[in-house]
Amino acid sequence: MQQFDVKSIIQTSPVAHAQPRDSAKWEVINGMDTAVEFASTAIEDARKKVLGVADVSCLSRYGVKGPNATQWLLERGIAIPTTPNSWTICEQKTLVLRLGSSEFLIEDQLGGSACTRLASDATRVASVYKVPRADAAFIVSGSEALNLFSELCSLDLREKSLATKDLIMTQVAGISATVIRQTLNGEPVYRVWCDGTYGPYMWEVLIEIATELGGGAVGLAQYQNS
Amino acid sequence: MKLLTCPMNGTRPLSEFVFGGEYRQAPDQDTCTDAEWAAYVHNRSGAPGDKKEWWYHSPSGTWFIAERNTLTDKVTRTYLLGQNNTTQEEGK
Repeated sequence: MQQFDVKSIIQTSPVAHAQPRDSAKWEVINGMDTAVEFASTAIEDARKKVLGVADVSCLSRYGVKGPNATQWLLERGIAIPTTPNSWTICEQKTLVLRLGSSEFLIEDQLGGSACTRLASDATRVASVYKVPRADAAFIVSGSEALNLFSELCSLDLREKSLATKDLIMTQVAGISATVIRQTLNGEPVYRVWCDGTYGPYMWEVLIEIATELGGGAVGLAQYQNS
Repeated sequence: MKLLTCPMNGTRPLSEFVFGGEYRQAPDQDTCTDAEWAAYVHNRSGAPGDKKEWWYHSPSGTWFIAERNTLTDKVTRTYLLGQNNTTQEEGK
């Protein structure tokens, strides 16, 4: 019987089934096969300025919750947002999202290592529970981003309603999602997380509207230097 | 659009919420009679009026209590169970 080494299995992005296998360029990032380029750099640059949608599901994540989760993270050097439903940046490369009062989603940006460090911590502490994450994650950028969200979300996501460090958990395209607004390379973008099993659906909806509004798919390579 | 106020996430469209039934205190299972337990398990009060109800905000996974008049559909307040000192008035 053929033996498989589980660690050698390459994951595929939860969004991959909705993305073109042949026309896009694929690379394994963080152990996940991810579309890094959908079109030439010039075309993707133009899409990004109008309405670009990128799949960033391959970024490492770590979820933890429980009454002692805040203390547990602080002891491990993770900066914690002080209020529920807000986010912060830790060590310049790690997003820390506070979901409600005692649950956290930590996401390493490319080059970050906090999630690996937390995942390797085998100490068991009372009232701290690991939350397995299998998110589909997206970056939505460009001048038409708000028009896209006005079609998909009933909340006002403009700057004056969604403050810089606010996080909202709401429905986007009819499914539960977490949304923040962030500045990446000087450009305001929206970050969206949803359950991975809804990833292909979310991608199709985002891309359909993005294409209508003059944008489209953007590969992860556009954000690899950010 | 109907709105409901989640005590953790604020006012949201009703479509983000799931009704979880009336909030009822269970009788003490060690001391109650079989009839009292059977009434708790099987009987519900359908009479309209002020009720405490469980509601669930599905995008965030938050269960909370809403006090609602089931005749007028007016929600007077919502709060997390055990934290009803920090109530939030509907629509504010």
